Amino acid sequence: MSAADKHGHEREHAHGHGHKHGGDGHTHKAAPMVEEITDYEVLEIAVRELAIEHGLFTAEDHRKFTEWAEAVGPAAGSRLVAKAWTDPAFKARLLKDGTEACKEVGIDWAEPTGFGTPSDYTNFRVLEDTPTLHHVIVCTLCSCYPRPLLGMSPEWYRSTNYRRRLVRWPREVLAEFGLILPPEVEIRIEDSNQKCRFMVMPVRPQGTDNWSEEKLAAIVTRDCMIGVALPRPGRTTDIHPVHKARRPVQSAAQHARAAE
Amino acid sequence: MKKDKVAKSQNGGARARFKVGDRVQVRDMPNIFYTRTQNYVRGVVGTIAECTYRDLIPEDEAFNFDGGLEQYYIVRFRQKDLWEEYPFERDTLQTEFPEHWLEPVGH
Repeated sequence: MSAADKHGHEREHAHGHGHKHGGDGHTHKAAPMVEEITDYEVLEIAVRELAIEHGLFTAEDHRKFTEWAEAVGPAAGSRLVAKAWTDPAFKARLLKDGTEACKEVGIDWAEPTGFGTPSDYTNFRVLEDTPTLHHVIVCTLCSCYPRPLLGMSPEWYRSTNYRRRLVRWPREVLAEFGLILPPEVEIRIEDSNQKCRFMVMPVRPQGTDNWSEEKLAAIVTRDCMIGVALPRPGRTTDIHPVHKARRPVQSAAQHARAAE
Repeated sequence: MKKDKVAKSQNGGARARFKVGDRVQVRDMPNIFYTRTQNYVRGVVGTIAECTYRDLIPEDEAFNFDGGLEQYYIVRFRQKDLWEEYPFERDTLQTEFPEHWLEPVGH
């Protein structure tokens, strides 16, 4: 916020435009607004504005693409796995050419530009788990992710913590997600740092015989397709338990009340 | 991005130096300007798991230079070869490279 804005804000308060301060007549000073922004966000804005100025794309194109990208969720990936579990011929096609097979669940990796999104390319591989092989995906460089199928990656997937630790201590990281696998099961990390994108096809869990594709798709959550969780009947969300803080942050007023 | 730069699947292997099953060692070259080859795989021996596609290399592409297409490979490593004292025998890691980052290993 600029000094002029701040001054204007204070003056507005002084003139009391319908803003009640309690009856004690003290002068209320607005706390300075702090907008945090990283160097990389500044860089993105600068490059974007230059690209718009140079006519590489318009601001309208950018808005439309951003909205399109944000609207993609993991549902298509779930449908893909459920279809492969129930249709062996489709599964064979999917493992042979993932990009082509995606069209059968309505996903064209060439969308929305005709040649794919700027960093997704059009090379897609499905990693098939077996009872003795478990895959998990990561991009140690940054954030490569099968976005046309799974949408935007979760925050933790892009964190340096996940990226640097998964390749070094995969079993410990999976255990933190609640997934503990016996040593007989081979864990295979797929570090997708070039132009192939990957997604995990977990083993169809027991107790799902005769389930419809729709019912199966509901247990194939995003985390199952990243490889940090296994599907099971009844597990239909990736919500992790929230543990309350033992000593939560308190406001000054709470401290004062507690001291009384 | 130009349409002709897009990597196409299913065209790999045509003029590939390596084939699936070959043992290769990741070269340890200086990081000049730009690379996507991570330090943790430098010098490590692995096995070609797939010949993926031909495409521009990151070192050229980062500067919008069309230096021609190169074959890419997915290489499989044993976790025990990547990390000293890694305790689980069977665990593996796969990642991808353009051809110039790999050199053959004698059998």
